[in-house]
Amino acid sequence: MTGDVLAFWGLALLLVGSALAVVLSKNLFHAVLWLALALTGTAGVFLLLEAEFLAAIQLLLYAGGIVTIVVFAIVVTERLVGERISQTSRRIAGGAVVAAALLGLIVSAIVERPLAPAEPSIGADLTRTIGELVQTRFVLPFELLAVLMLAALMGAVYFARPDD
Amino acid sequence: MDLRFLVQLAIIGLTFFMLINASALLVYAERKVMGFMQQRYGPYRVGPHGLLQPLADILKLLMKEELRPKGADRWLFTLAPMLAITAAFAAFATVPWGAETTLFGLLDQPVKLGAADLNVGVLVVFAITSMGVYGIVLAGWSSNSKYSLFGGLRASAQMISYELSYATALSAVILLAGSLSIREVVDGQAGYWLGVVPRWFVFLQPVGFLIYVIAGVAETNRAPFDFPEAEQELVAGYNTEYSSVRFALFPQAEYINMTTMAAVATDLYLGGWHGPFLPAEYGWIWFLLKVGAILFTYIWVRWTVPRYRYDQLMQFGWKWLFPASVVNLVVTAALVLYFHA
Repeated sequence: MTGDVLAFWGLALLLVGSALAVVLSKNLFHAVLWLALALTGTAGVFLLLEAEFLAAIQLLLYAGGIVTIVVFAIVVTERLVGERISQTSRRIAGGAVVAAALLGLIVSAIVERPLAPAEPSIGADLTRTIGELVQTRFVLPFELLAVLMLAALMGAVYFARPDD
Repeated sequence: MDLRFLVQLAIIGLTFFMLINASALLVYAERKVMGFMQQRYGPYRVGPHGLLQPLADILKLLMKEELRPKGADRWLFTLAPMLAITAAFAAFATVPWGAETTLFGLLDQPVKLGAADLNVGVLVVFAITSMGVYGIVLAGWSSNSKYSLFGGLRASAQMISYELSYATALSAVILLAGSLSIREVVDGQAGYWLGVVPRWFVFLQPVGFLIYVIAGVAETNRAPFDFPEAEQELVAGYNTEYSSVRFALFPQAEYINMTTMAAVATDLYLGGWHGPFLPAEYGWIWFLLKVGAILFTYIWVRWTVPRYRYDQLMQFGWKWLFPASVVNLVVTAALVLYFHA
């Protein structure tokens, strides 16, 4: 139990610290790397909850895929085009209001419905269960997401197309 | 502390110790095989048949001065090689290399040969290899040098492109085995068809195996896809500005990545530690032989096929390899559905 608690607080510190660093560091490249660390920390939280599948997918998609592409984009614009981009947090007041509202929403949700102290039993293999649910009960949202992704892909191709 | 726990710790230690040795041996093997292919001896002076050459190389690199370019990003420049080597080692963590064994009756319950056994092992290997690109991109970005930058850019573009085909090829094997655990995939390949042909997935997935091996070469940045360090164009690519230990970590990570790639191919396509003649206790010998054969092929290809052009690499990856892997996956899914239902 103590090991779990220690790991949780370690991860919590890492997550909050790296998330703060994402918004506070001036250098855009550093900010993206902090974001990668924050996403890896989230995978750690999943691992702590014994959701290995989610942890692996989190690493694979976010830290390994999406952030790599963002890094790529920044390197191309900043070093090749020579445009220096630095992060300036201007609308602090508006941001603070939104952040406070979100925090209030999450806290009220937790207060309203306290999380069960015991871990829910899934019984079968977790990965298999997720796969079956995605193919049966949640098949419509799953397919809609696929359509959304396709639309995003086509949009990217449209923007990247050379003018003729 | 019971004996089983200690043995498990020893196995983890042994796994990573062997991995370090594999990278040193591969440097030697690479130079030796290259030598034979070019009708010369290769390293011959240090130790019998030049066997101690890797040690001499390491000593030489350790003695060198560590340089850092003036405009380099201080932290990232140091972090990059560490990330590269950490990702390389961590990727091997869920790769099993032998059957369960009691160490000839020493233990009551059998232990598994391999550092860790997760039920989503295949995904973990993917996830961590996909983190390996950070080391290279950071090295390219932080060096403040145009050659490094282009090397890093090429590496990230290449690795993102080929990761897709690589993952799709492996998905077909996962479909066949019905499991994400590497150990279960290996055990699904035990036995023989008609009493002679081993039940290896390479016979069911010849196209998938080919795609995996090709994408693996691109993923580890080896010739003929070694664009991130194309010497004739980019001096040494992403590691141009590195020296001493920091430099040494990059090739070491590359060789370890090669070993991981070959070990995963052995486990998922070539039946892992299953093979004729040897009892299950000695299955790891088969595993080592198969990994060695794949690694030899890697070296063989490197010194036979010249480097492609960069646009050819992208064309090939996106217009041929990726569609082929998708078709392979769809056909496999249909066949699995047909024969299992």
